[in-house]
Amino acid sequence: MDGLVQLFAYSGFANVTPGHLLMILVGMVFIYLAIRYEYQPILLVPIGFGILIGNTPFIEHSGMALGIYQDGSVLNYLYQGVLKGIFPPLIFLGIGAMTDFSPLISNPKLILLGAAAQLGIFMTYLGAISLGFTNPESASIGIIGGADGPTAIFLSSRLAPHLVGSIAIAAYTYMALVPLIQPPIMRMLTTQKERRIKMKPPRSVTKIEKVMFPVFGLLLTGFIAPGSLPLLGMLFLGNLLKESMVTKRLADTAKNAMIDTVTIILGVTIGASTQATTFLTQSSALIFILGATAFMFSTAGGILFAKFMNLFLSDGNKINPLIGAAGVAAVPESARVAQLEGLKADPENHLLMHAMAPNVAGVIGSAVAAGIMMSFLM
Amino acid sequence: MSIFQYFPVNFSAIQNQHLILAVIGYSVVFLSFFLLALLFSVVPRILSWNVRRTFDDEGDEAKKASAGNMIPGEVSAAIGTAISLYLDELHDQETAILTIRKVGKSYSPWNSKIYNVINFKGFQR
Repeated sequence: MDGLVQLFAYSGFANVTPGHLLMILVGMVFIYLAIRYEYQPILLVPIGFGILIGNTPFIEHSGMALGIYQDGSVLNYLYQGVLKGIFPPLIFLGIGAMTDFSPLISNPKLILLGAAAQLGIFMTYLGAISLGFTNPESASIGIIGGADGPTAIFLSSRLAPHLVGSIAIAAYTYMALVPLIQPPIMRMLTTQKERRIKMKPPRSVTKIEKVMFPVFGLLLTGFIAPGSLPLLGMLFLGNLLKESMVTKRLADTAKNAMIDTVTIILGVTIGASTQATTFLTQSSALIFILGATAFMFSTAGGILFAKFMNLFLSDGNKINPLIGAAGVAAVPESARVAQLEGLKADPENHLLMHAMAPNVAGVIGSAVAAGIMMSFLM
Repeated sequence: MSIFQYFPVNFSAIQNQHLILAVIGYSVVFLSFFLLALLFSVVPRILSWNVRRTFDDEGDEAKKASAGNMIPGEVSAAIGTAISLYLDELHDQETAILTIRKVGKSYSPWNSKIYNVINFKGFQR
C-alpha cells in the first residue's frame, strides 16, 4: 500500500498546478496552429511538444534529475546547446546554405530596408529599460524585433541567460504570427497607389558576384561588429558552400540533415524550458508585450524607410513600400506576406522576388544589431 | 486600478547612455549596410570593365555600350525555360542502359523446395 501511495506521490496527478495546465494548453495551441494553419510548423511542432514535455508535472526535488533545469538530466545536457549559444550558429550555417542572395545583389539599395527594419530592436530596448529591465536584459528583449529566433537566443544566452526561454518563445510565436501582425500595419502605412507600384524585374547575377558576396559581406560586417561573427561567420560560410558549387555535399548536409537535427533539439529544449514553475512570471508577460511592440516597430521602420527612399528615386525605379515590411528577418514568411498584400492591391504585381532582398538583409541586420549590443554591453 | 500598476512604465529610467546605445547601434547597422550596398553597386561595373576594354580595343562601339548591361531577369527566365523544355524533351530518349533485377530467390535450406520435399517424405516414412 505504501508503494502505491509513493507511486501516486511521484505521479503528475499529485504534482500538477494550474500553471502546468495553462502551459500544457499553450503547448497544445502551438501544435494546433502549426498543424491546422501551418504557421511555422517546423518550429512550432517541436516547441509545442517541448512545452508539453517541460510541463508534465513531477516532484522537482526527488533526485531523479528529470527537469530541464536540473543538473544531470538529459534535457539539461541538451539545453546547454542553447545556454552556451552553440545551436544558433549551426542554424545560421544551414540558413546560409539555403539562402540565395541574388535578389539583394541585383538591387543593392534594397539592403537598406533590412537595416531600417531593425528599428524595433532599438525602440524596444528603450521600452524595456522604461519597464525596469536591466541594460543587458533590455538588449536581449529588444532583439525580438529582429524577428530572428537564433539571433534572439544567441544574444540572450550571452546577456541574460535567465530570460532565454521567454525571449525565444516570444520570438518564435511572433515569427509564426507574422501573417496576422504585419498586414494591418502595412495597410495603415501605405496608400493603395503605393501598394500598386510595380518594380523592375531584377537583373541576373553572375557567379563571381555570388561568391564575392559572402566573403566581402563577412569582412565588412565582421570588421564593423565583431560580436556578430559567430552568427554571420557561419551564415556566410554556409552561403559560400552553396555558391562555390564545389562543396555540394557540405552544403546539402548543412541545409538538410544538420539544420533539421539542430532545429529539433533547439525547439524541444526551448519548449521544455518553459517549465511553469520558472516561466510563469510577470517578466515573461512583459517580454511578450514588448516582443509584439518590437515586431510592429520593425515592420513600420521598413515600410516608412521605403517611402523615404521613394522621395529620391525616379519614377521607373520606385520601391513598393510593402517590401519594406519584409526587412524583418522572418524568412520567407514576411516576404510572402508582402507578396500577398501586393497581389490584393494588384493581382498582376508579384513582389516576392523583390521582397526577398530586404528579407535576407534582415537576417544579416539583426545579427549585426546583436553584435553591436554585445560590443556595448559585455 | 490602472494597467500601469501591472506594467509600471517609467520613462525617466531611460538615460543618455541608453539613448546613445540605441542611436549609435541603429546608425552602425545602417552604415554597415550602406557600405555593403555601395560595394555591390560598384562590383558589376568593375567586373564588366575588362569586357568593355576588349571591345574598346576592337573598336566595337555597340558591344561596348551594352557590355555593362546585365541580362534582364525576364530574358534569363526565358532562356532557363527553353533549356528546361529542351532537357525534358531529351528525357524521351532512352539511355539504353538496362537494369536487370534478379527475380529468383537465392538458395538456402530454408527456402529450398527440394529440401522440404525430401524432409516431408522422410516425415511420411
